[in-house]
This record gives sequence, structure tokens and C-alpha cells, in this order.
Amino acid sequence: MLDVGRHPNIDLLAYSEVQHIEGQAGNFKVTVRKKARYVDEDKCTGCGLCSEKCPTTVVDAFNEGLGMRRAVYAYFAQGIPSTRTIDPDHCRQLNGKKCGICQKVCQAGAIDYTQQDRLIELQVGAVIAAVGYDVFDPAQIAEYRYREIENVVTAIEFERLLSASGPTSGHVYRPSDLNAKAEIQVLEKQAAKSGRMLARFEKKYGRTSADFFMQYQAAPTDDADQEKWARVYQEDLARKERLAALNDAVKDAATAKRLAFIQCVGSRDFRFYPFCSGYCCMHSIKEAIIANEHEPQTVSTIFGMDIRAVGKGFEEYKIRGGNKSGITYVRGRVAEIIEGPGRNPVVVYEDTRTRSVKQEAFDLVILATACAPTRGIAELAATLNVALDDYGFIKTVPSAPVDTSMRGIFVCGCAGAPMDVPESVAQASSAAERAAEIIFQSDPVKEKAVA
Amino acid sequence: MCTGRLDPAIVAKAFKKGLDGLLVVGCYFGDCHYISGNYQAQAKIEMTRRLFEHIGVNPQRLAFKQCSSGEAAVFVEIVNTFDATIRELGPLGGDGDAVRNPALSEKLATAEAVLAGEKMRWVIGKKTPFTTSGNMYGEIFTEHEFNRAIDMIIVEETEVQEILGQLRQKALSVAELAGSLAIPPARIFRYVTALKRKGFVALEGISGRSPKYKLISQEVS
Amino acid sequence: MPENHASDIRIGVFICHCGSNIAGYLDMEALADFAETRPHVVFVQRNLYTCSESGINEIKKGIQEQDLNRVVVASCTPRTHEPLFRSSCAEAGLNPYLFEMVNIRDQCSWVHMQEKTDATEKARELIGMGIAKAALLQPQEIILSEVQTRALVIGGGIAGLTASLSLARRGYEVVVVEKDQALGGMLNHLYKLGPQMQAAKELAAETVQKVNAHPKITVFTRAHVTQVKGFIGKFEVTVETQSGAKKIDIGIIIVATGAQPLVPEGLYGYDGKRTVTQFQLETMLAKGLDAAVRHVVMIQCVGSRNDERPFCAKICCQTAVKNAILIRRQYPETKVSILYRDMQMYGVENEAMFRDSKAAGVRYINYDPADPPQVKADKVGVYHPLLGRKMELAADLVVLSTPLLAREDAHETSQLLRVPVNENGFFLEGHVKLKPLDFATDGIFLCGSARFPANIREAVAQGLGAAARASIPLSKGSVEVEPIISVLADEDACRGCGLCVALCPYGALEVRQTEKGRKVHVINVACKGCGICAATCYQHALSINSFTDRQIEAQIDAFLTVHP
Repeated sequence: MLDVGRHPNIDLLAYSEVQHIEGQAGNFKVTVRKKARYVDEDKCTGCGLCSEKCPTTVVDAFNEGLGMRRAVYAYFAQGIPSTRTIDPDHCRQLNGKKCGICQKVCQAGAIDYTQQDRLIELQVGAVIAAVGYDVFDPAQIAEYRYREIENVVTAIEFERLLSASGPTSGHVYRPSDLNAKAEIQVLEKQAAKSGRMLARFEKKYGRTSADFFMQYQAAPTDDADQEKWARVYQEDLARKERLAALNDAVKDAATAKRLAFIQCVGSRDFRFYPFCSGYCCMHSIKEAIIANEHEPQTVSTIFGMDIRAVGKGFEEYKIRGGNKSGITYVRGRVAEIIEGPGRNPVVVYEDTRTRSVKQEAFDLVILATACAPTRGIAELAATLNVALDDYGFIKTVPSAPVDTSMRGIFVCGCAGAPMDVPESVAQASSAAERAAEIIFQSDPVKEKAVA
Repeated sequence: MCTGRLDPAIVAKAFKKGLDGLLVVGCYFGDCHYISGNYQAQAKIEMTRRLFEHIGVNPQRLAFKQCSSGEAAVFVEIVNTFDATIRELGPLGGDGDAVRNPALSEKLATAEAVLAGEKMRWVIGKKTPFTTSGNMYGEIFTEHEFNRAIDMIIVEETEVQEILGQLRQKALSVAELAGSLAIPPARIFRYVTALKRKGFVALEGISGRSPKYKLISQEVS
Repeated sequence: MPENHASDIRIGVFICHCGSNIAGYLDMEALADFAETRPHVVFVQRNLYTCSESGINEIKKGIQEQDLNRVVVASCTPRTHEPLFRSSCAEAGLNPYLFEMVNIRDQCSWVHMQEKTDATEKARELIGMGIAKAALLQPQEIILSEVQTRALVIGGGIAGLTASLSLARRGYEVVVVEKDQALGGMLNHLYKLGPQMQAAKELAAETVQKVNAHPKITVFTRAHVTQVKGFIGKFEVTVETQSGAKKIDIGIIIVATGAQPLVPEGLYGYDGKRTVTQFQLETMLAKGLDAAVRHVVMIQCVGSRNDERPFCAKICCQTAVKNAILIRRQYPETKVSILYRDMQMYGVENEAMFRDSKAAGVRYINYDPADPPQVKADKVGVYHPLLGRKMELAADLVVLSTPLLAREDAHETSQLLRVPVNENGFFLEGHVKLKPLDFATDGIFLCGSARFPANIREAVAQGLGAAARASIPLSKGSVEVEPIISVLADEDACRGCGLCVALCPYGALEVRQTEKGRKVHVINVACKGCGICAATCYQHALSINSFTDRQIEAQIDAFLTVHP
């Protein structure tokens, strides 16, 4: 990534979208919308002071909603360019409220609240679509109760939980515990505030809140002050009760040590995507091995129809996972996930080897979600005038694996079909080769920026 | 850089400066990223071990092992075993070694000179051809024959370096050298004659009836 | 070479937290404090990620504002990050070879996660050694070497031919060496290709015709590469052709030697008649199946995914499904059953083919390798796990799906080119994820089933990809060679004895007659900097840039003094 950012022959237009394209192979004119960041890329040094001082916190999409970020932010720590971006939906200043803190603290003078989207026109010889994929939203599968059961997460969420730079510094705490802890924090803050308020009332009237409330309940008055005292006291009681319950729930909170991985969530499923997403078997095995490396007591069960460890060294990796990392492979499709005691998800499945329906409780269930065509691919395909396949991936044929239906426009990676990293990297070179064949036949092209 | 870059003279020097053990881990034969560097490394370490044994350093302080970059468990095993060995031996020049400090330090200085010398380096470098394709007369040495020759060279080279070491301090006669180094006078005489012929030593004068020899300083160290 | 006065040396040390990868396990403050005490160190800074753009900017700022003339980064592995840090130094005006990297992640925080004190101690030692070496580093200049714009492609199968055509279209000369008498490789032996059921021979013929017609491509069939000398840009290759040995100057080499199917001698009663391989079935289908064949049973994972060959050969399942569909379509009376362990129908197209096969009536039965199918006179016995009982399937023809194996001569090729193969004999790429089509050796690339069994889509993609990788040095016309190589540092000391020449594994040294007598000469581009010569020269005339005796000794001294 950094190499791309630094290469003299690469112009990186991040936070931009292709709006229009015309011409033909060897001579395309592409119009790109460069979205307003409200931060001057040339001035920003990526120091991050603005993010530190920004008063607005927003749910962090990069950490799969498991952590928080500020309204002025970098998508992730090592992102290129390191230029921060202001999120116009949440920034106080851009929403007409008083703030402007980031502008004040920025020593580079890079914050610009007046920045507008810009249209850029490029002359290019060939186009490569490498728009990737989206993770299938498993909430569509009612029987897996994703979002209903807190301790059911997607593989990519689990990836963040495992990551040393993720929201839990790599310790696999369960979302139920994380959520409870977050709620405790909020409630404690509120409790402190109401505590101070109650203390003021008690001092003013020289009696305890409990005494007052008992009397007030028996004989309510119209006095606004007393009314407020009663309300605050009542809320405080409810809050303390909730806090006690939460604290009780998290007092034994430990990292998840019994993991279930459910394969083909949204893939090989006629209701959603009939295709196999190709890489999910391997990433479940990988996540299970890493979880075991982080905490050697961790055991995992991978539920799959076939375990498709297909690739150089993959089958060996799968076997090693079973032998050394506490992974059990169960052949069968999971029918349902229900919530059992202790917020433990319970997996209901048919073990095809023994032909019996079984139930097993886990600390955490990870859904290996399908590789879905990325949102907006239909619009992109229309803009580029390339055909899509039945599922919404950019269409190619086996004997020309990176050529789209439009000459001069190529595809690589998961925009064309689900594939793993080595395959994507190899295809990226293939697409570069096809593009080079076009470019080096035509005249050298010059880039021109307008507006 | 490769394990083949390892200069045995620097190894001896490091021990002289206080190293207690040195483990060299290289690729498997045939897998060397630099084709044949690991053969060289092994030959150098093997030779140095023999020399160490000769001068009184426990040869277990030096080891050449092999594993591939994919064999974490093997590597850990190698390191742990070696670590245990060195801990058992204790600090250099203590109970683990035949010669104690501070005498050992002088011995290591001699070893460094031996390992930096022309003869040892030719022999080490040519080990593989000598034991596989043969010397210039087509004679192929077995590992055993080669090692016997090496041991002889080690003895000779050490004694020569010890003589040079003594002469570096002051001019001495054959009898004096024989006395301080515990080497028979006839052998001392043979070495000194050879050194004189090669221009390393010269006659300084006659003291009593014995000629005294001095070191001729060499431009290239 | 100009040498800095010791007093002029200003070292900056940047210690990376790597998020919590390092900082979570080492005492970073102690490391920074320690670095500050070392000689010549004038600036120490800790970074969350030294490799991030802001971290890089800090290094540049340090060089410019603190007037640093040596930079040490203590972070991760130089394998991935040294080039980045070096070029960052260069961008700030510092010679990139005045940079030294210390690995405190892989060697400290990762391997000693549970021992914070000891791991920190080890990191201190490593940093101390890095700093000591940095003080003695000398600037070096990258060596430029010309690249012959002619490519050698070994193997004339679809992957090699695709690569050849791509390079030829880009205007480079290509020499294809094929050991068989005809180009086309595996495609010549196959019937139809999934999932589109394209005729394999047609695709082969079409590609071969384009190759033969291209003026930039020279084809040698029934030919072998017998000798490869030289290095990227300047390989001297000897090809044994039908008209004798030819010496050809080559810039880059692509290995596309393919793979070969396992012949399952002794497995499931293999006889090549009633019990055949998928490979043989292709030929039978091309000729037309015997009308008497009414029941076909295919067995997957024959000779693979076992103790002897633990790997899954990736494409045997799709081959079986494809052939099953072909049989069902052409001979609707013929029943096909596939006995499998896992159906490896990964991806969009394969899974679609899998579904089509079920719609076409192909029957699938999962078997347990502990209880494998039994091939009998006219039946195949298998335990059906869903029915929970043994059953016998009628079988006029048993087809064994055997894996594609590395070619028998892959090892020879590997030695010829000095490139590695993996434990299964397939060629080993430079990096499994990030450099799938490059070898670790510069100027040599790989594609197709020589790397690992590939279907047509993958082989073609890799052929194109290898061509793209190979075209980088070809289009630049030159390569840059790392100057960390052997140098004759003291010409007067050299006696021209030739011991180093005899030991150099790369033929990078030669003795030349000079005005001062016989002296050794280093052939820069051929030298890989292994250092055998410098460790052998008793005159200390040869040295290795950035690994000099003085630098190594300084590191040893630092280690012995840092250590309590």
C-alpha cells in the first residue's frame, strides 16, 4: 500500500468515484468525482492531533462497529494517504453547530470546511476494475439470529477481535461482555451526575433522598424542585439496579475459548448466493489457529459441508490446524443458532456422519459470510459498459480471465469472482499485463486535470 | 549475507573478548540460499572446534546446526539445547574448560592468529574439493584422513603462532623459546628456520653461544 | 571512500511500537532511554507505526532537522520493510546505505511474548549492536546493469504460451523451449474444458498458431535447457535443440514446465482398462465411450491427501465433475457416481458446474478415508453415510481421480536455475501471498501447474501475470543491483592467490593481471554478497559492503558490553 502511495508513476485518487467514461481501448476519457474531505491533502501531515481533540465520537466502521472513532478520522492506522477526513454526517461544524476545534488545533492549517467535491478528467489507455467485494449481511438468515444474539459475529468482525491493533488488542472478549462494559461506563457516568444532583438536594433540604421520596410518594406536591428530586431519585434507583445486574453479568467475563465457525453463510445457499465463496474455509481455519495461538486453551469447531482447503499448502494447513490447534471439523450444515444460558450461543446441527441432530453450546459463534458483489457494482458496470454475470460479478471467460466484455477494460480480484490473496495478486499482474498490451500499442497518454 | 561470511578469526577474537558460546545455524546442505556457503561455514566451525580443543577451550562452546526457516520447533530445540550446554559449562575459562583464565586469553590470541593465517584458510577453503573431487594430484581424502592432516596442521600452526607471540615481546633464543613454550628444542629450531626463510624472523645477535631471533614487523597484519 | 570523523557521526534511532505488536510486550521507554546513552546517538524517537506515512515523515524530519547522517530503525523484519526505510532515507537526502534495521518484533516481542524483561534485554542488545554497526556504515551506490530484452520461456503449455504471446505483443523477443515434439502441453491430451466445455485441442491449436505466426517468438521443440549461467538481464543459456546446442543471451526466464498426472499403480485395481484415470478418460471420451459402459464410478483423492502425499491437488474434483457431466449429456443411459471426501468445487464457476452435474443426475457419495471404497469385479462397494449402510454400485468403468504431481525433472530444472521446489516438488514462489509468480532469484518467474495444479482459467491468468512481472526489467532495460557485495578493499594486500576465486559459488571473482601484478577482480552484478571470499581472504584484501570485519566486530563488542 505504502509502495503504491510512493511510486512516482502512480497517482492515487482516494475517496473518489468514477462518474463517467467514454472513448475506446487506448483512449478513454474518464471523469472522476473526488469527494470533499474538508482536509487539504497537500497540507495534512497525518499527525492525528485533530482526531485526538475532536469532541464527536462515531461508531467505527473499520473495526466493524466494535469500537469508536472521531468525526475527523483516518479510516485505519496505516491507511494511505494518511490524510484525515471529516465525516460530514457527524461533524458538528459542518452540521451548523459550534465547534471548529480541529481547525484550531491543526498546526498545518489543513482543515478546510468549505472544500467541495471536484470533478477530474483523465485520459487513459486502459481501465482495471478492482473494486473488490462486500461481506454478505447474515442478518438475512433468520435462523442464525445474527444481531439478535450478541455472541454471534461475522468472520470479519472476529478478525478485528483477533487483531492486535483492533478494539480488544487481540483478546477475544465476547461482544455481550464488551457491550455490557460499555453500558456500565455510560451508566456510571450518569450515576455520578445524578449522585451529585441528589447530594445538592439533600444538602438544600437537609434530609436523605430516601426519606424525602417516601414522604413524597405518600403526598406528592406541585413544587417543581421536589418533583425533579423525586424523578432523579427514581431514575437513579433504576440505574443502580441495572448496574448491579450488568456488573454481575460481567464479573466472570473471560475471553471466548469455545469457538464455532459456521461455513457457507450466504454461499452455496439457493436463497442467497448459490456459488462457493472459495476463501472462507481457509479463513475460518486461519482464525481458529490464531485464536489458539493467542490462548492455547481455545478450541474450535468448524461446521462445513465440504472443507475446501484447496490451494498450495492449504490441505496441510488444515490438517495441522486439526492436530495442533484444537480444531474439530464437523461435516454438516447448521440448522439454527439459539441463545442458551450465560449468553452462550447454541448451535443446532445435523452431523451427517452419525445422522443425528445435535446441539452444542459455544462461547462465540463466527459466521463465515459469503463474498457478495460489492454495492454499486451494477452502476459501475453501467458506467463502464461491461457485462455482469448472473450474480453481479464482472463477467469474464476462462480463456481470457481478466478481460471484460468491453475491450480495454479489465478486472481482477473479487470484483470478477471470489478468490483468495495469492490468486488476487496473480490476477492483478494479469490485468496489468493486459492493460500494458493496450497502452504500449497506443500513443503515450497525458493526464489532464480540470475544474 | 550468509553463514559462509563467518570469519573464524573473528570467532576466536569474540571468545577472547568474553563470549561463552557461539551457535551458528545455517540452511540444510543443498538448500543454501547462497548455494555453498553453509558447507564453508560448517568446515570453518569444525576446524575452529578442533583448534579450540587443542588450546584448551571446550569445543562444545561452538556449534554448527542446520534447520530451515519453516522449522520453528526445530530451531527452538536447537537453541534450547545449546543454551543448556553453555549454562552447564559456565563462563569461559572456568570449570568447563581444560585451560583456565587468564592463560586461556593468551591461547585464544594465538588461536585468532592461527585462524587468520594463510595455511589454515587454504585448508578450510579446500576441504570440500579435497574430500570430494581430490587435490591437484587427484588424491581424494576421506573425512578421517583429512581430519588427521588438519590436527597436525593445527598443532604446527599453533606452535608457530606461539613462537611469533613470544618474539613479538622480545628477541629470544631457541633454548629460551623451548623453555617457555614447553616444545622440544629441535622442533623450535625447525620452525624458526622456516620462519627465517619466509622472512618473518631474523637473527638479532648472539647471546653467549646461542643466537637470538627477533620478529620482522609485517606490513600487512 | 570518504570516511566520516567519529565526531561527525550523528545517529537517529526510531523505535517502532507496531501498534501493540511490539509495545505490548517490551518496555519501550527503557529501550528509548538505552538508545540515548549509546555513542553517536543524537536523536531517539518512538513511533506508533514507523512504517506509516507519518512515521516515515518523522524519519525524514529527523534527517533534515537533526542533521542525522545515520538512521537506525528498530521495528519488524528487514525482509518486508528495509526497502521502504532505505528509500525514505534517500528521499530525505541521506544515502540509503547509511540505514540500519534492527528486528525487535520477530526476534523479541513475538518470540518472547511471555518474558517482558528478557525480551526487553534482548532488544537492548540488538539495538546496541545496530547502533554500533550504523556508526561504521559507509555510503554505497546502486549498481546498474543492462538487461537483454529477450525472454526464455521453458515449457510450451498454455501457461507458457500465454506468457510468450503477451511478451511478444509487448515487443520483446521470446524463445520457447519445449521438450515435447509439439507445443500445447496438457491441452493436447484433454477432451473438453470446464465449465464451458470448450474443446481443449481447439484452444491449444488456436494458441499454438498465434505463437508460431508471431515474428518475435522462436520455438524450439524436442529441446532442453542444459546450462544456465549469469544473472538477471544477462543469462547465458545453452539449449540443446534438434539441430545441436545453441547459446542464447537471455534477459529473463519464465518457468512454465507444468505437471504430470499420478499413475495409480496398485491402487483400486488400476489396470488402465476397466479401471482408468481421469487423464485416460479424457482420451476415451474423445474417441467415444464403449456402448457397453452403463455404470461409471469415479473415486476422488486417489493417491493424494494421504500420508505419502498430504496435499490436495486442487483441480481433480472439477475434472471429475466436468467429465461426469459430459458422460451424462452424451450417454444419457449411463449412470455416474462420484465417491468423494470433500468436493473441492471452489468459486463461482466450479460450484455452478457442481450444481449442473446434480441436475444432470450425477450421484455423489461421501466416503471416509479410513473406510475407502472397494473395487470388485463388476461393482464398487462403499459405505453410504447418509443411509448408514454399505452398498454396492454397479461399475463397468471405474475412474480414479489422481493428483497432478510435480514433473519428474522439476528437481533438475530447479538445480539448473538455482530456484527452490517445495516438499511436494512444485516450484516455490518468492512469497506465497505477495509474490506468487516470482522466484526469490531476480529475473526468474513461474506460472501454471509447475507452481501448483491450475485449471485453464488459472493457468492463463498466471501466464499473463508472469509476463507482467517479467516485463518490468525488460521494459526498464536495466536492473539495479544491491551494492552490498564483495569489494577489493585493499588492492595492495591482494596477492592474487586465487583461493577466493576457487570458493566463489557465483563465479563472481576472477584474477586479473594489473600494473600491480595479479589481483582479484569482482564482477559486480554476479556477486550476491554471500561473503565467503571476505571470510577466507587471509590478507583481508576483500571485504563486503555493509558487512565489513570492523562492523561485525563493532557489533560483537556492543553485544559484549551491553550485556551485564
